[in-house]
Amino acid sequence: MASDSSPIHSYSSPIDTTNSSPGTASRRRGRPSRSSTATPPPQTPNTSRFAATPDETPIPSSTPSRRRRRGSSGTPMAATPTSTDDADAAPSSEGGEGEEAEEAAPMFVWGTNISVQDVNAAILRFLKNFREGSAKTEWKYMRAIHQVLELEGESLDVDANDVFEYDPDLYTKMVRYPLEVLAIFDIVLMDMASRINPLFEKHIQARIFNLMSSTSMRNLNPSDIEKMVSVKGMIIRSSSIIPEIREAVFRCLVCGYYSDPVVVDRGRVSEPARCGKQECNSSNSMTLVHNRCRFADKQIVKLQETPDDIPDGGTPHTVSLLMHDKLVDTGKPGDRVEVTGIYRAMTVRVGPTQRTVKSLFKTYIDCLHLKKTDKSRLQFDDPVATDTGSGNNREEDPISDYQDRVEKLKELAAQPDIYDKLTRSLAPNIWELDDVKRGLLCQLFGGNALKLPSGASFRGDINILLVGDPGTSKSQLLHYIHKLAPRGIYASGKGSSAVGLTAYVTKDPETGETVLESGALVLSDRGICCIDEFDKMSESARSMLHEVMEQQTVSIAKAGIIASLNARTSVLACANPSGSRYNPRLSVIDNIHLPPTLLSRFDLIYLILDKADEQTDRRLAKHIVALHFENPESILQDVLDIPTLTAYISYARKNIHPRLSDEAAEELTQGYVEMRRRGNFPGSSKKVITATPRQIESLIRLSEALARIRFSELVEKKDVEEAFRLLEVAMQQSATDHSTGIIDMDLITTGISASERMRRENLLSATRNLIMEKMQLGGPSTRILELLEELNRQGNGEILLTDLRNALATLSTEGFVAVHGDSLRRI
Amino acid sequence: MVGLPFDCLSNPLGAVRVTFERAIASGSDPASFDGRDWGVVDVLRECLFDQGALTQVPILDHQSIRWIQPNSLVRFRGMVQDMLGNEFYVGAFKDGSTWRTNKFADVASFPMGSSSENRIWERRLLHCVPVPGQSSWTMQSSSESVISRSKKWMSQHREKRVREDDAESCSMAPSNEMQDSPPGCKKMREGHCHSLLLHEAVAEVSSSKSSIEFDTDSNCFSCLVKVYDTMESDVKLNDVFEFIGVFTYNPELMIQMDDEVPQDLYEESLVHLPPNKVPRLHCFIQQKLAVHDFILNSPVTEPIPHVIRGAREGLLDHLRSVLGNDCVAAQCVLLHLLSRVHGRVDSVALGKLSLNLTGFNRESISVFGNQLRSAIQSLLPFTQSFPLTVEYLNSASLAPRKDYKTNRLVTGALQMAEGTHLTIDETQLDSGILNSTGISNARLLKNLLECQKVEYDFEYYKMEMPADVQLLILSDGKSNILPADLVLPIQPSVVRPSTNIAPEALQTWRWYLSSVRTLSHDIDPEMQKVLEDDLVAARQEDRSLGSQDFSRLLTMARLISTSFGETRLTFDHWQMAKELERLRKERLKQ
Repeated sequence: MASDSSPIHSYSSPIDTTNSSPGTASRRRGRPSRSSTATPPPQTPNTSRFAATPDETPIPSSTPSRRRRRGSSGTPMAATPTSTDDADAAPSSEGGEGEEAEEAAPMFVWGTNISVQDVNAAILRFLKNFREGSAKTEWKYMRAIHQVLELEGESLDVDANDVFEYDPDLYTKMVRYPLEVLAIFDIVLMDMASRINPLFEKHIQARIFNLMSSTSMRNLNPSDIEKMVSVKGMIIRSSSIIPEIREAVFRCLVCGYYSDPVVVDRGRVSEPARCGKQECNSSNSMTLVHNRCRFADKQIVKLQETPDDIPDGGTPHTVSLLMHDKLVDTGKPGDRVEVTGIYRAMTVRVGPTQRTVKSLFKTYIDCLHLKKTDKSRLQFDDPVATDTGSGNNREEDPISDYQDRVEKLKELAAQPDIYDKLTRSLAPNIWELDDVKRGLLCQLFGGNALKLPSGASFRGDINILLVGDPGTSKSQLLHYIHKLAPRGIYASGKGSSAVGLTAYVTKDPETGETVLESGALVLSDRGICCIDEFDKMSESARSMLHEVMEQQTVSIAKAGIIASLNARTSVLACANPSGSRYNPRLSVIDNIHLPPTLLSRFDLIYLILDKADEQTDRRLAKHIVALHFENPESILQDVLDIPTLTAYISYARKNIHPRLSDEAAEELTQGYVEMRRRGNFPGSSKKVITATPRQIESLIRLSEALARIRFSELVEKKDVEEAFRLLEVAMQQSATDHSTGIIDMDLITTGISASERMRRENLLSATRNLIMEKMQLGGPSTRILELLEELNRQGNGEILLTDLRNALATLSTEGFVAVHGDSLRRI
Repeated sequence: MVGLPFDCLSNPLGAVRVTFERAIASGSDPASFDGRDWGVVDVLRECLFDQGALTQVPILDHQSIRWIQPNSLVRFRGMVQDMLGNEFYVGAFKDGSTWRTNKFADVASFPMGSSSENRIWERRLLHCVPVPGQSSWTMQSSSESVISRSKKWMSQHREKRVREDDAESCSMAPSNEMQDSPPGCKKMREGHCHSLLLHEAVAEVSSSKSSIEFDTDSNCFSCLVKVYDTMESDVKLNDVFEFIGVFTYNPELMIQMDDEVPQDLYEESLVHLPPNKVPRLHCFIQQKLAVHDFILNSPVTEPIPHVIRGAREGLLDHLRSVLGNDCVAAQCVLLHLLSRVHGRVDSVALGKLSLNLTGFNRESISVFGNQLRSAIQSLLPFTQSFPLTVEYLNSASLAPRKDYKTNRLVTGALQMAEGTHLTIDETQLDSGILNSTGISNARLLKNLLECQKVEYDFEYYKMEMPADVQLLILSDGKSNILPADLVLPIQPSVVRPSTNIAPEALQTWRWYLSSVRTLSHDIDPEMQKVLEDDLVAARQEDRSLGSQDFSRLLTMARLISTSFGETRLTFDHWQMAKELERLRKERLKQ
């Protein structure tokens, strides 16, 4: 049977295949009665790509050599119609399989009941008849084969799900006996290719991917050896490319005779002991001619478990991958990939010179297909963002369990209390602050960005500012959001410079070119930029935020680079009140102490104050006592874990794009009008602006986010109502005029409330009157303090020196008085 | 069971073979032993635990490795430092017509034909090191006892045989004893012959003592443990285990190291753990150890109230004298020594009580700091300490880091077993510039302090490992780099030279600390109400109190209660906790 040159094993690399295979070649035939010379196994040499990549890998010159070799090896390729690797082989008819079945006695894969012919036929049927699409009209693989032929490709990607769908039996066989079945697969492909285009000489390999189930690296065990497995992980190291010799050519040093290419057999090249030329026949004269040998690329890649697969207290497992030819360098260290391949084991020799075999096996995966997967954080690609070229191996995301997960998320979304549940799940260890959490939730989901054909764009990102006393877990909230956000950058205001936040231009030290380096805001494009200690940020750094927060771009003009970078980021900032603790005697705006221009760009501003409320104190005490003295597990409420939450948010951001319903639009307009009207008191000269156009944009964004939370494509009335409530809660905390108790948007937009403005005007006129009364034109100067006393005596209420100075400054610009230090003079 | 035809202690592999053959003879299919034991562990268990042979098993360490002979049964106590993944090996194979097994062995004891039928099984590789910071008193006592025992054991054998070899040399005792043994079964002989050959081969390499030249010293002694048939979840990183198994040493495998062309497919990790540096241990039985397993000769087995009270008073006195008669500090240190993480909710570790003793300067640290450190070292089994200086932060590798070149987890100073005590001396800290390593190190320490978690650096990502470390910080002023739970300025009044403590007292205190620490704790609903009311009242009074302060107070109350050996919080103890907190606050204000 030795002549049965079934190469599935014969060229196997150093790798000694395990027990099941050595026999495969020699005992493939079911009937021993048949003489070996009649063996027509279809497994021509080129089928051995797993054991060691085929000697046949398409290199232009390969065909002649292949023929020669086949000739020399003397394998009788005779009868099988499948051995069609000769381009001019008799064109088998459509029913080739049938004929074959009749002609040849059934052959079985050794040790199994798999008939080679059956598998052959099944594969052919699958390739020819599998259709996809809803209408089942597309012959998926026939089209793909044509494509491969046109492009002169080398491999055909076969979705294992398709195989399963079409023929579960074939799928099972393929997974259990991949070496044999894939060899047949390749032959069928070759056969089809040559039938379609007789001149096509390349070898097409089937690359299987997307198995029904993928194994965790941890669970790979001896029973998986020689099976097809699919493993997810992260590439941690890849070796340099190893040229592996496939065919060696020797030259006689005496007569210069070139030997026939010697094929590598089990990792060994047998150097001819004598010169092959009859006349010469000198011994030990052959030397290897490097540049006439044929090499194939090989690479060893280490794959490691991704962090989320590692159980508590474990360390990540690693597995070696063997990559050949085209797969070399498809993955780089750090990539998360899903690999389909054959799990193999090889024995370890004690030493290269010793025959003693250690009882150990080294395992590796012979890689068939490599797919880069997106990480667990399911980064969300909005349609706009996906235009960045996807890698050559990137599939469209057809992870089998993906659908399940989506189903689960949808189930979750259908729960009536999902909004509350998500709120609860958000930073569950932070007590209270439910409305703040709701706002943050809206920020995570975000509204719809809108781009008008005219070029104007409206941001969909929601910006939030948290202002509060120290120790009210603002930073913890920030950290939590940072962890949760699909793409989050965390920056501390004190340690950030303007360029560090936006972008800066540097000179590349090597080339001398100016290059643009992105800062935190640009890096968090389509994510959330969390800025802690916003109040301690330098003025210049803060001013950079103006553009980012409304226009969502960063413009750079320096050192010959004029660029505008996208920074479609939501800003979540937190700040301490100016006096580090909130001073209830001062107005909100004095407490926050941020420029009004910036404040107005925040959709929601929350004041997190530590109020002396016994109720909250009691709840806190109860919580902490329970934490310490009860079983910690029991107090965990029914909350979603972070991965689920992330998946939920990512899915919603990616797939749900709610539109305003008419009802909701109506509600919005009404609500807005109502809000504005609230500022007009009949008979009052004061005009308080309680809402601005920016508010209505915020409202739209909020209600869209709320619809997204429910996975709803339509913004409903209740969303709008909730959005109004959220906005009001936030405004009541931040924009309430301290002296009147009315929401006053002027506080945010100008920094001065309407009542304050009134007070100032009163003071101004009172001062003017006083000066008119008391001082002569060009008379002696008066001290400001005296003036202040006088004013206070007049009973205008308590007047502060600073206020008076402000009033005097106004008067001096009018040219009414001249102020010199502490004294003033009327002019 | 009648006398076994083999000696469990010196020839455990004999036991493996005999039981395997017995199992096969009784008609079991070798395939069914995959991931399952065929009875050898039961035999060993009976021998070791029921017949009390456990004390006869030598403990493997950097000293005993010089005289323990290969293929004998040893014990090894260590911490799982790294997990090297699984190893596939030919578990059972057919030699002619008989089934043989390679379980618990590195090399096949019989030639394996390439064509023979075989079964591939798997085992786990663990890289274990002695517990970092293990106090000498835990080790001394154990190794002394073993040496004396083994000496006795060896001399017994010497009487039997006439051999003029150095007693310390690689003794052939067990194998020769086999010859003396009545003809057991044939396999036994073969096995023993093999091991004899192996020994001779070893002996040939160099004579007597140097035959197994282990290149180890106490600092970097480690052991590669091969574990069989365990659940993944049984063994975790940084767990402390006692492994009982065969110590194997195979000179053949060393040759591999010399001229092997490093090939990527081989596990690089093993290349860096050559057998002459890292002994191999095939483990039969593994037991997870807790802190109290390291306290030898516990004077009392059951917690009796008056003994506990006595121990508490004695220990408190001792601590007070160490701390210059500072009573409050002594109480805080006692609570600190009793603290442990008893639960985690989200990122909050409950039960930790790190302590920052302030008011040290460079002079007083040399007196009190050192006294305190040595006192703690003599009380707890695992203690470590390092100075916090700019240079140290900038240069030390605190976090364990995965080295993908060698595929190993490179240990860091913060890879510690559960229940380790760590003293950080901040008095040496000068102003200086931290580089990026320094910053990340400072962050790591802070994270450990706040969450009891250490981030392990896996280059492409970080992984947080939970830890349970008692942190004591000695500093001049309140440490801002390392914000501890409890900050207390120390007020020593007298400097007493360290007195010698009676060893019995020390034993009692060690036992007290380790046993009281593990007590469970509970609270009555009424008491819970009292606590809540007190907390609310306190917060109404002082708005600056936050959840952290409450947590600290509750932890202190719990620890005070456990320090009396109580499992339920009483009102008195709650008052004590509040009083202690009041005293502490007063001191802070001064």
